[in-house]
Amino acid sequence: MENCADVIIIGSGVIGNAAAYYLAKRGRSVIVLEKSGNIGNGGSSRNGGGVRQSGRDKRELPLAIYGVKNLWPTLSEELGMDVEYYKDGNLRLGKTKEHIKILSNLSKNANESGLDVKMISGDEARKICPYLSKEVIGASWCPTDGHANPLLTTLAYYRKARQLGVRFITGEEVSQVKKIKGKARQVVTKNNVYEGENIILASGYESRKVVQCLTFDIPMNRVLLEVLVTEEQPPMFYQMLGTAAADFYGHQSKHGSFVFGGSSGYEAFNKDNGTPTTSSITASAVCRGIMKYFPILADAKIVRTWAGWIDDCVDHVPVISFVEEVPGLILACGFSGHGFGISPTVGMLLSEMVVDGKTSIDLGAFRYDRFRAKI
Amino acid sequence: MSKVNDRSRDIGEYMMRPDDDIIICRCEEITKGEIRKAVYEGMFTITEIRRYLRTGMGLCQGLTCGKLVKGIVAKELCVSPSDLEAAMSRAPMRPIEMKVLGNEKRGGE
Amino acid sequence: MKRYDVIVVGAGPAGLSAAIEAAKRGLKVVVFDENSKPGGQLFKQIHKFFGSKEHRAKIRGFKIGEELLKEAEVTGVEVVLNAIVIGLFLDKEVTVNVNDEVVHYKGDAIIVATGASENMVTFDGWTLPGVIGAGAAQTMMNLHSVQPGKRILMLGSGNVGLVVSYQLLQVGCEVVAIVDAAPKIGGYGVHAAKVARCGVPFNLSHTIIKAEGDQYVTGVTIGEVDNKFNIIPGTEKHFDVDTICIAVGLSPMSQLLKMAGCNMEENPKKGGFVPVCNEYGETSIGGIFVSGDVSGIEEASSAMIEGRISGVAAAFRLGFIDKEELKAKAGELEQALLSLRQGMFGPGNKGKDITKTEEDCDVSINLLKKGYMTDEEVVKYPGVKSIKGIHAVIECSQNIPCNPCQDSCPKKCIRIGDKITALPIVDEESKCIGCGMCVASCSGQAIFLVNEDYEEGYTYVTLPYEFLPLPKKGMKGVAFDRSGQEVCDAEVVEIKSLAAFDHTNLLTIKVPKEMGMKARFFK
Repeated sequence: MENCADVIIIGSGVIGNAAAYYLAKRGRSVIVLEKSGNIGNGGSSRNGGGVRQSGRDKRELPLAIYGVKNLWPTLSEELGMDVEYYKDGNLRLGKTKEHIKILSNLSKNANESGLDVKMISGDEARKICPYLSKEVIGASWCPTDGHANPLLTTLAYYRKARQLGVRFITGEEVSQVKKIKGKARQVVTKNNVYEGENIILASGYESRKVVQCLTFDIPMNRVLLEVLVTEEQPPMFYQMLGTAAADFYGHQSKHGSFVFGGSSGYEAFNKDNGTPTTSSITASAVCRGIMKYFPILADAKIVRTWAGWIDDCVDHVPVISFVEEVPGLILACGFSGHGFGISPTVGMLLSEMVVDGKTSIDLGAFRYDRFRAKI
Repeated sequence: MSKVNDRSRDIGEYMMRPDDDIIICRCEEITKGEIRKAVYEGMFTITEIRRYLRTGMGLCQGLTCGKLVKGIVAKELCVSPSDLEAAMSRAPMRPIEMKVLGNEKRGGE
Repeated sequence: MKRYDVIVVGAGPAGLSAAIEAAKRGLKVVVFDENSKPGGQLFKQIHKFFGSKEHRAKIRGFKIGEELLKEAEVTGVEVVLNAIVIGLFLDKEVTVNVNDEVVHYKGDAIIVATGASENMVTFDGWTLPGVIGAGAAQTMMNLHSVQPGKRILMLGSGNVGLVVSYQLLQVGCEVVAIVDAAPKIGGYGVHAAKVARCGVPFNLSHTIIKAEGDQYVTGVTIGEVDNKFNIIPGTEKHFDVDTICIAVGLSPMSQLLKMAGCNMEENPKKGGFVPVCNEYGETSIGGIFVSGDVSGIEEASSAMIEGRISGVAAAFRLGFIDKEELKAKAGELEQALLSLRQGMFGPGNKGKDITKTEEDCDVSINLLKKGYMTDEEVVKYPGVKSIKGIHAVIECSQNIPCNPCQDSCPKKCIRIGDKITALPIVDEESKCIGCGMCVASCSGQAIFLVNEDYEEGYTYVTLPYEFLPLPKKGMKGVAFDRSGQEVCDAEVVEIKSLAAFDHTNLLTIKVPKEMGMKARFFK
């Protein structure tokens, strides 16, 4: 039957596309269903492009480190398309004693998990990146962190998976995932019914709505984040950047434009009109944040601002899990704003879950049934 | 509501044309051939073409090339240009220096 | 935060008109415009407008701009220039870049009147310096007094292409050809006739194959196209030019509306991507209105009326007027808009093949293909009569909403009637006194005075003349026919420039008697 496949994937973001690719590579037939008209229209095309290990929850570190070591360096070659991956390190900047304390704690925690991140002085930071303001007194430095182009990475996985025979269908909104004789088998949309041995749900915040019909919940919130993009600049620095105070984060892309995200503080409360709308105050706030650290960018012209939702899980790490009470269903959502960097690893692990029934990296910390009351 | 769009449907193969090297997106210097090829690589929407090639991401944000790109993509997909959804429009409407955008005031203050 | 009753984006004809109507009814209005001068496209329009008196016919575009500005000032509209509205956010908030700041404002209503941008076509070499939009050429000439080039090829025979070609001639450029892929001239016949009699050839069913040049345009090759728009081999024509003007239509600049979340539609009849709106210009977001080209490409005359409608509708929405006043005023304005949208070029007739006028005259095929009527065609129209003594000859052959000629004649020799698209009729019993007001009042420069009985062996022809330097009395030269061909010797007998003619000079030449119905231009 045409609408049948080994695996039905709901959501064509970088997670869904990567899973589709790794599954196709291992000989599985895959159909990917995307609600919107565009591939990768959610968080995958709306993030800062960070491929970092530092600054993560301990639980995510093994996934991040694996990706940086084994998958990212050869990803462009493997997918036949340049995803603009740079491994030039990550500077997280501090201007005050409090900032330095925060950064030191983060670094110490990461060291305990085997990550090579250390504290450096302001002058050492300026040696790595001469454009830093004199007011920077110190930074955490992780030399194996980096960044890539999220738009291209998402589309690269899509392109290659499509070449390998994966069927992608946009404009298909899933209204129900149905259990047949106790097993999740059918995915019902407005016009069609698809059937698969396994169903991977990777549609960000929208996953919460989908699991409703299977009568369980994923405690996630939708938070609106914004990014601004400058015109092309001569190459200045390729480190991934961030601050202890979370004023902004971002990088200079291969194209030469700077892509910076940041916050106004109202992200959890920002209203929208049903689409990710930019607010009138956030971009200005991000500009002020950037200029405090990179005065040289004051004259750079902003050509675009955009916004996107993150699917923020209650404990800020994703749900990547079999769902035993719904056999056949695999969850991969709630990446809480840092899914991009671990997406190749997660895609690979999802394919292992389907083909091998187990994963080469322990996913115990990401179980769907981990949520307990605080007392 | 988006229309159902099966990306595996047969749209034929990319074939070179003599005018493939004409620049379409002047800001980012993307050629007609690159746009046409991208369709065959799976980029069926203006937004995907834009994210894939950067057409419309330059200084003019698609004011010059928007209609042209639509026409080229529509032709390859054998649809009417009106069937293709335009890319999103965003602030700022004109490029603006970081120091100016950061210099915020409320009217009347 | 400062909150206005109405924030208008764009101080062009639509924006200013909207602001005026709102301010007249007591609303606090501000207009933001990114340019250093207000008036939008109006100040580039140095030609006389069409329509009727209420549409400000026979007044030059920039004058209308000045009048609008004055009215805005008088009604207390605040106009802020060099002010770029960089975003339209939720809750009707705008951020405006003025000087080195970004300022937040709110409006109880927002009227977006941002106009349109020029379309492009691609051809080999289209990115060479020297390929410019016709609007850009107009800005250079009429705002900055800069000649865009010396030898120009115009691509596009819509009104913009025709009007700008004429203006290029006026600033001393040579227009080597007007080219259009369509089989028919898209703009008004009278605009085409103005340039045809100056010798500009039309090449319909042709397109540009290549713009030549290394660092900039030095030449262009065009070729004929078949009905599938493929180039027919062997039809190539080459011109030495330094400039190629592109006039292939406009697209609404509706980005602010899309950003705000208005429901949009791709509407080819309106020129592209426009917000869905009702008859008052209100979009799917209550309180956000659109008027002018941004809501659908038309012209300045309709933009002004649409602006007024939105201004009145905003006043009603904010409770400054009641429903009766809205219905009355909007109804009146909608009538004016409707009368503009009649005739051969009205939106309802777009794409139709019209072969007969409303009076059942044949539409001149030659005019549509070559830009001029033949001697045989021209006499078929009610404005062209053979009358003893001096009389007006009105070579107006297409139904366009326009009637200044009727009002201009002190002796009531010209009749159009209530339906302003009707072709003007010259009364056979006409008591023409030769004042020339009709010649000067015709925005299409399609009226001539012909007198075959003044001097034995000669016919005196009075032409509208808008070129410098003005010829002097007694000057001898050559007369050209409607197609721009030399037809005979001519001598200037009079040159009249009155304030009432508003810079349309009346040039009377004498030509051999039988040339009276041929001579239509002088050099």
